[in-house]
Amino acid sequence: MSAPLLSIADLKVRIRGNPQARLLRGVSLSIDRGETLAVVGESGCGKSLTSLAVMGLLPDGLEKSGGVIRFDGADLPVTDNEAMRKVRGRRIGMVFQEPMAALNPVFSIGDQVAEVIHEHEAVSHAAAMARVVDLLTQVQLPEPARIIHEYPHRLSGGQRQRVVIAMALACRPDLLIADEPTTALDVTVQAQIMRLLHDLQDDMGIAILLITHNLGLVAQMADRVAVMYAGRKVEEATTRMLFAAPQHPYTRGLLAATPRPGRRRPGEPPLTEIPGVVPAITEMPSGCRFRPRCMLASDICALEDPPFVDGVACHRAVSRELVP
Amino acid sequence: MSAPRRNLPFRFIGKRILQAVLTILGIAIINFFLLQLAPGDAAEALAGEAGTADAGYLANLRREFGLDRPLWEQLATFLMRIATFNLGYSFRYGETISTLILSRLPATLLLMATSIVIALVIGILFGVTAARYFNRLPDRLISLVALLFYATPPFWIGLMMILVFSVWLGWAPTGGMRDITAPDGGIAGVFDIARHLALPALTQAFFYLAIYTRLVRAGMLEVLSLDYIRVARAKGISEQRVAYRHALRNAVLPLVTVVGTNIGGFLGGAVLTETVFSWPGIGRLMFDAMLQRDLNLLLSILVLSSVFVVIANLAVDLIYPVINPTVELR
Ligand SMILES: Nc1ncnc2c1ncn2[C@@H]1O[C@H](COP(=O)(O)OP(=O)(O)O)[C@@H](O)[C@H]1O
Ligand SMILES: [Mg+2]
Repeated sequence: MSAPLLSIADLKVRIRGNPQARLLRGVSLSIDRGETLAVVGESGCGKSLTSLAVMGLLPDGLEKSGGVIRFDGADLPVTDNEAMRKVRGRRIGMVFQEPMAALNPVFSIGDQVAEVIHEHEAVSHAAAMARVVDLLTQVQLPEPARIIHEYPHRLSGGQRQRVVIAMALACRPDLLIADEPTTALDVTVQAQIMRLLHDLQDDMGIAILLITHNLGLVAQMADRVAVMYAGRKVEEATTRMLFAAPQHPYTRGLLAATPRPGRRRPGEPPLTEIPGVVPAITEMPSGCRFRPRCMLASDICALEDPPFVDGVACHRAVSRELVP
Repeated sequence: MSAPRRNLPFRFIGKRILQAVLTILGIAIINFFLLQLAPGDAAEALAGEAGTADAGYLANLRREFGLDRPLWEQLATFLMRIATFNLGYSFRYGETISTLILSRLPATLLLMATSIVIALVIGILFGVTAARYFNRLPDRLISLVALLFYATPPFWIGLMMILVFSVWLGWAPTGGMRDITAPDGGIAGVFDIARHLALPALTQAFFYLAIYTRLVRAGMLEVLSLDYIRVARAKGISEQRVAYRHALRNAVLPLVTVVGTNIGGFLGGAVLTETVFSWPGIGRLMFDAMLQRDLNLLLSILVLSSVFVVIANLAVDLIYPVINPTVELR
């Protein structure tokens, strides 16, 4: 088997100058060409930081303190801004959560999409604009020839997210990172955008790193799923396996809290929330960070952070419980 | 950037011109009465200089200047003159007021344009740099310099400039706009004026610079944390371009307002600088007119200033939507 397109090994991110504040504690993920990997987990578990670390765009005040990120067979120089500029927008495109805030209000749509083309390719302005029109057509915006002259405030949230997607795909990247691309949109628009991403992926053969906390989207889109909790990966499986046989109590909690449209059979248990909230970074418990919220927690869980073995990081994982 | 296609805002401009005329009328009337409140008049000032306090002489002068007429009549005359652009005659200078003002206006406009351009270029550079290096050394240095300029009175900066660059170093003349011996035109003439212009323009620029730097820094700090800046970075464009193209254009609106105010207020605002450097501009003309109770001249300059303010404000309003298309003219 060939090397994965993107592999993240033991990625650690902390607050600069504060070794205690470990926001990512050794995250490992990998994505093959053309594949979709979903990363799920509650708000604040480190999904966005993981993707920003890959882009070399960690916020000021945070630093990568460990780990190796490889992309297309070479180390990704995430701390070298100039080197990363050739990757961003060209090899890896990114779509963010807030379409309403993602476009610069003072530049026309056409100029903003064309900018990424100009940045990475030597093309005339006319040629770039022609490509922008094609791209806007591809993301199914109506009247693209008119929209290139419009300013963002004249577009709806869904339309703006389509523009952002067009921008991310303009240079035909190998990987698209979509960080909660539909969370801010209403349900019908959500479905349209996800279908669009799915179709574009079929057309262009790009890999997608889909960050979401919506397990419904995961079921539709993803080949594999990684579940994160409090700065680390706690479970990973193919989508089918994850839904069929979740291992980690947290994953099971997530699934139990997710409505499955049209599939609620009589006798099926009602939706249940995972009790409690993620502890603050300064108040993390000893051992397993999920322990205070876990109904299966036992003594060993307080002693040691469980290692990630056989697709799950849990002392009490289902598969392990079965072993006598 | 391709230009936005929008209709020329004729209705907007029409409405604003009407407002402007009313504003200027109001300002003229208020100024007229304010100056009436000030003690003394031109006749007294002239008589004082001539060393007489003879009542007959005073009465004569007053009749000659129209100062003996009832107040409302003086006001009506004054307003009529403004309306017909015939500003009357300055008895002090023995010239029509329009000639006087027109002869002084270029010096002031030159000083204004130069100092504001200098302040804008450096202020934007400083403000952007400070924001990009927030709380680090460049930011601290720039903020300190801005604070110093802000806290130091411009006349004092002017005097220090003269001391250092004229008296000690001998690089620039101490005042005036041109040497008597210098040729009138050509490269040498331009160079001569530039030499005279340097110190007053810098002095005035420092005054604005402090404000511009702080405004740009604050605006940039706000904008740089916004989502679309991260999106711009995710496209792979350079930090330089992110700062000066994506962020600055969004951070610059408050600056436009303040620059507009500075331009509008310049006729009166440069009095100190023009005085310190004996710059033959409107500010000094106004100052002299005040000392000499040349109310006609003073009122004319004040009204001209208000016209300037109104035009500058209108220009700001028209520039706004060009810089930021989310702003709409109303
Ligand atoms: N700039 C920052 N400074 C300090 N902490 C941060 C910063 N950005 C994110 N964090 C913290 O890092 C953790 C992970 O954040 P994030 O990756 O954004 O979560 P999410 O999974 O919701 O995308 C959160 O606890 C958040 O509070
Ligand atoms: Mg997030």
